[in-house]
Amino acid sequence: MSTSDDEQERELEALLELSRRGRAKLERLHEVLTTPGHYGTGATPAQVVYTENKLRLLRLLDESGQPRAGKPAVLFVPAPVSRYFIVDLLPGRSFAGHVAAAGFDVFVIDFGTPTSEDRYADLAYYVDGLVRRSVRMVTTITGQPAINVVGYCLGGTLSLLYSALYPETVARLVLLTTMVDGDVQGGIAWVAHRMGLEGESYDNPRLVPAAEVKSWFEMLAPGSNSLVGRVSDLWDRLDDPAARLRDVRTMATWVDDVVPAPGRLLAELYRKFGPGRNSLMTGRTTVGTRVVELAAVRMPLLSVSAEKDAIAPPEGADAIVKIVPHAEVLRLPGGHVGIVAGRTAASLWQRTVEFLASPRG
Amino acid sequence: MTIDAKAAKDHSVVERWIEDQREWQKTAMTYLDSMVKNDDFLVHLGNAMRGSLLAGKPYPTASPAAAAAPAQEAPADDRLDRVLFALHEMQGQLNDLRLTLDELRNGGKGKPTATSRAKKATSSKATAKVRRRTTGARKAGKKRG
Repeated sequence: MSTSDDEQERELEALLELSRRGRAKLERLHEVLTTPGHYGTGATPAQVVYTENKLRLLRLLDESGQPRAGKPAVLFVPAPVSRYFIVDLLPGRSFAGHVAAAGFDVFVIDFGTPTSEDRYADLAYYVDGLVRRSVRMVTTITGQPAINVVGYCLGGTLSLLYSALYPETVARLVLLTTMVDGDVQGGIAWVAHRMGLEGESYDNPRLVPAAEVKSWFEMLAPGSNSLVGRVSDLWDRLDDPAARLRDVRTMATWVDDVVPAPGRLLAELYRKFGPGRNSLMTGRTTVGTRVVELAAVRMPLLSVSAEKDAIAPPEGADAIVKIVPHAEVLRLPGGHVGIVAGRTAASLWQRTVEFLASPRG
Repeated sequence: MTIDAKAAKDHSVVERWIEDQREWQKTAMTYLDSMVKNDDFLVHLGNAMRGSLLAGKPYPTASPAAAAAPAQEAPADDRLDRVLFALHEMQGQLNDLRLTLDELRNGGKGKPTATSRAKKATSSKATAKVRRRTTGARKAGKKRG
């Protein structure tokens, strides 16, 4: 065979290989597209034990459909600006499900989707209203005077403020990717600041559209909304196993599923905790007419930050030790969403279970 | 390599090429089949062609620039929304009251008989009736935490 024949054959083989790989990607894409992403709801069977406005308080059930009565209670408080099921995403990919399986009676708050009238909801409505009554409901149902609280992102801020106001009702507090130092640059607070959140009116608030809230998140990942970038990323990812692609699809669906936000709440958060205000770092702030002293947070506290968190920079979350000196700070590899529901989330779940199960010192 | 061996090898490449084309036809038919049988598949495919693996709903069309541009103003006449939100607040106060009553009934412990009733506490009529009573109950509830 001549050299040119060899080259021709190599070219043909390469062409065939290219064709085979392209086809394999399309077949994998077909498989992913014909299976559900996420359920659009929590993965673990649950019963609704309390409702108020759009809020639903869910109690996870065991394999036989029964609540885990008699076990220590844990209340998950997700961020009210996104969908609650990030903590209960899929079977085998559920933070709340993992904690329940470890021997806890788990409750999850679903704040629901705010509508026009909810634009008047402020910090007091959430902290001293929805969260307080949810905790009260859990303590009443379980008969436990103090329960464990796990807050994620803005849900962590609500949990921290609640715990300072009602410390006797919180046995242990876990804060996940919760910013306390608003002066740390980067993150959603700074983006919102640059996007004009400062102009959000407290007295005459609007319901901030979900698309606008989402645009703040997208600004934190330049290129994520570029069509070319997304298609290119997806084509590259199609070499991954179908199971991994389904994970990506599930997470992408959740990230895109932002809900509208009450303008009054955002205005208040910005004025109190945003860049240049930063009242959490002074150790004293207010919720409604009540003064909140963070020194009252004396229960064991675990604060977890994510190394690659673009939404809540880890330095802003780790600063909790400056206002709650006994807080245990843990920084995990991963991003804002990944540490809770990504492939490496198991380390966070396990650490949380250990913290919740450890004897109170 | 002999002429026969070369022909056999070429034949093999041609055969594989033809086989590859058949596989492509199968892949194309699988896509066509899903498009015909599954209405949602086109939505999924459309999302994928935009580089997203969003499931079950169309790709959001609002661009960040468009979303962020003119801020949506609060409605001029907000009285209805103010009333609705006040009712939501009262619903919470009413739930506090019921929880307190339950605790008193059960000596401060036990299962809540108010759980199911609390869920029903959305009637504005019922809420209006207890409006005055809940003012005092709210303070009691806050003390209880």
